[in-house]
Amino acid sequence: MRRTVATKVEPDAETAGRPLPDDRLKEILYFLKLARYFDERMEALYRQGRLPGAIYSGRGQEGTHVGVAYALEAEDSLFPTHRDLTAQLTKGLELKRVMAQFWGRIDGYLRGRDGNSHIGDWYGHRTYAVMSHLPIAYPVACGAALAYQRAGSGHVALAICGDGATSNGRWHEALNISAVFRLPVVWVVNNNQFAYSTPNAKEFAVPTIAERGAAYGIPGVRVDGTDVLEVYGVAREAVERARRGDGPTLIEAVSLRWRGHAGHDPAKYVPRELLEHYMLSKDPVKNFERYLKDQGVVTDEDVANIQARVDREFDEGHEYALASPFPEPGDVTKGWWVEDGYWVGEPGRAGGTEAS
Amino acid sequence: MATQQVEAGAAGHGAEPRGKRGEDGQATYLIAIAEALWEEMERDERVFMLGEDIGVYGGAFKVTEGFIERFGPERVMDTPIAEETIVGMSVGAAMEGLRPVAEFQYADFMSSGFDEITTVLSRYHYRAGVPLPVVLRGPSGGGVRASSFHSINPEPWYAYAGGIKIMCPAFPSDAKGLLKSAIRDDNPSMFLEHKWIYRRIKEQVSEDPEFLVPIGAADVKREGSDVSIITYGAMVHKALEAAEALAQRGISAEIVDLRTVYPLDEETILRSIEKTSRALVLYESYRFLGIGTEVAAVIAEKAFEHLDAPVVRLAPPNVPVPFSPPLEDAFLPQIADIEAAVDRLAGW
Repeated sequence: MRRTVATKVEPDAETAGRPLPDDRLKEILYFLKLARYFDERMEALYRQGRLPGAIYSGRGQEGTHVGVAYALEAEDSLFPTHRDLTAQLTKGLELKRVMAQFWGRIDGYLRGRDGNSHIGDWYGHRTYAVMSHLPIAYPVACGAALAYQRAGSGHVALAICGDGATSNGRWHEALNISAVFRLPVVWVVNNNQFAYSTPNAKEFAVPTIAERGAAYGIPGVRVDGTDVLEVYGVAREAVERARRGDGPTLIEAVSLRWRGHAGHDPAKYVPRELLEHYMLSKDPVKNFERYLKDQGVVTDEDVANIQARVDREFDEGHEYALASPFPEPGDVTKGWWVEDGYWVGEPGRAGGTEAS
Repeated sequence: MATQQVEAGAAGHGAEPRGKRGEDGQATYLIAIAEALWEEMERDERVFMLGEDIGVYGGAFKVTEGFIERFGPERVMDTPIAEETIVGMSVGAAMEGLRPVAEFQYADFMSSGFDEITTVLSRYHYRAGVPLPVVLRGPSGGGVRASSFHSINPEPWYAYAGGIKIMCPAFPSDAKGLLKSAIRDDNPSMFLEHKWIYRRIKEQVSEDPEFLVPIGAADVKREGSDVSIITYGAMVHKALEAAEALAQRGISAEIVDLRTVYPLDEETILRSIEKTSRALVLYESYRFLGIGTEVAAVIAEKAFEHLDAPVVRLAPPNVPVPFSPPLEDAFLPQIADIEAAVDRLAGW
């Protein structure tokens, strides 16, 4: 989905005091509901043994994922983790091709070379194919941002990692270098309070992740990651700041991971009261839906229509994925080298020699 | 062979100026590498360099001396000490159409960026179809009393990762031509210079800006008929000296210089074995699972019917490169060791 995002975040008369025009707010609700429904349906299929591989639920964190991705223009790049599939869908990835990847089919974005949410669509929607060694994409985002800076293109790179990845050396290297070179990059930490099973208190000794920005000479902002509009506003400001050439921003978006690290993990280490509090009071999808209803932006019928669209898209995607062929076993070694030509002909891919 | 050994500077830490080609047109390996970088920077403005102390200081070995004055700090980029990010940043820049050449002060320090090299750089194209024209270069190898952390031959670690073309040239011309090819290649490359060779070996080197040496092609550096010595890097020079001595005793050794260690030029190796029927695999990476282990396996698997003797390997033991001169000399294969190994082979 290519779109132009209104630069203006401030409420004005045109939007009746709301931060975005109504059609945009409805679109945000669509992405939130898509994310939630996809997450629940895929988990059900996984538990029924009908989905191969793994699932990494982003439930409870949709406000962060939609909020940051919605703040990007089509030409800006996104460097997500396995937890952030919703951010990639918001950036525009097609649900059916995402689902083809989950089932290991040739029509998946990575042609069966990788599975589940380890996905990306660099040439189409400028999203980096997820890797597991977090925050492995942080240094790479620095390089994309360096290229934007050199070219004076005004594009921005936005990278996401979790609270756990902030303990890794690369996180600090990347923040430091981005500050030294004033790179057009936005660093998002999706603080869902647990690194697999390890709580924040055992991950770092500072009260917040946001205040670590000061150590690198960049602003750090802490935001309620369950409030999509709050996240969007902060992310939009950081993106525009980077676009202006004023350098990186660190955003800590706090939410809670409702499910385990992966499909196999019952997450018994999360205190029940904490989980109940987040599920009852800080549900990013329900809270935003209520806000739009209160504001008179959507009716019950509108919400039902969005839900029906999401249902339909999921079913169509599932059907598409199962109908898509598996990759040819004989192609297993192809694409190791560029000159194999394996990726030539994929949408947006030139491949071949440097002249192309 | 029109190659000369010249007096080298102190212990490999060559902080003295890089120098220039002689009036006779001969260039050291160091100068040839600098020329390759310079010519490709002139030719293609997408090419840029990044690394530690490569700009104002001109690099730990002075390979990039004078570059910042010509190309500016944006294209000769001094970075903080952050190897993971130097590699990762190269990947990101390549994804956006630039052609980065990252220098490591010593090839040893590539391992500080190991994860970005072996997880991102090596696998990204296979997984996602995005070409990554990245060159990682730095001085490798021992023999200069630089001990454990400044002497490594890291090529097996990264060859195992796959997806990265790895070059270990022994001569100035090969170094220049291969580095130019690596910069123009759309795949990731690792260009391992040998610091023992830097200022010791010089020869006539082409000044044609289109002079290229193909990646993945070995080269027979000395023809022979009795035994093949398959080798690369600084060991090529030892093998050539040993071959001279062997010739005095009537043994004719053929020297195959791999030049690129991954992917391997099996054809040239096997052609030589067909001719000589005896193989000594000589390499400076560790004996156990070093580059020569694969070479020996290829010969055993594909040239068994041509062999008159078991394949012999000669390589350092799997211990850290020691400092004390008698220890390092015992660690590295020496000319006498090569002669003895060839004598064993000739006895079959």
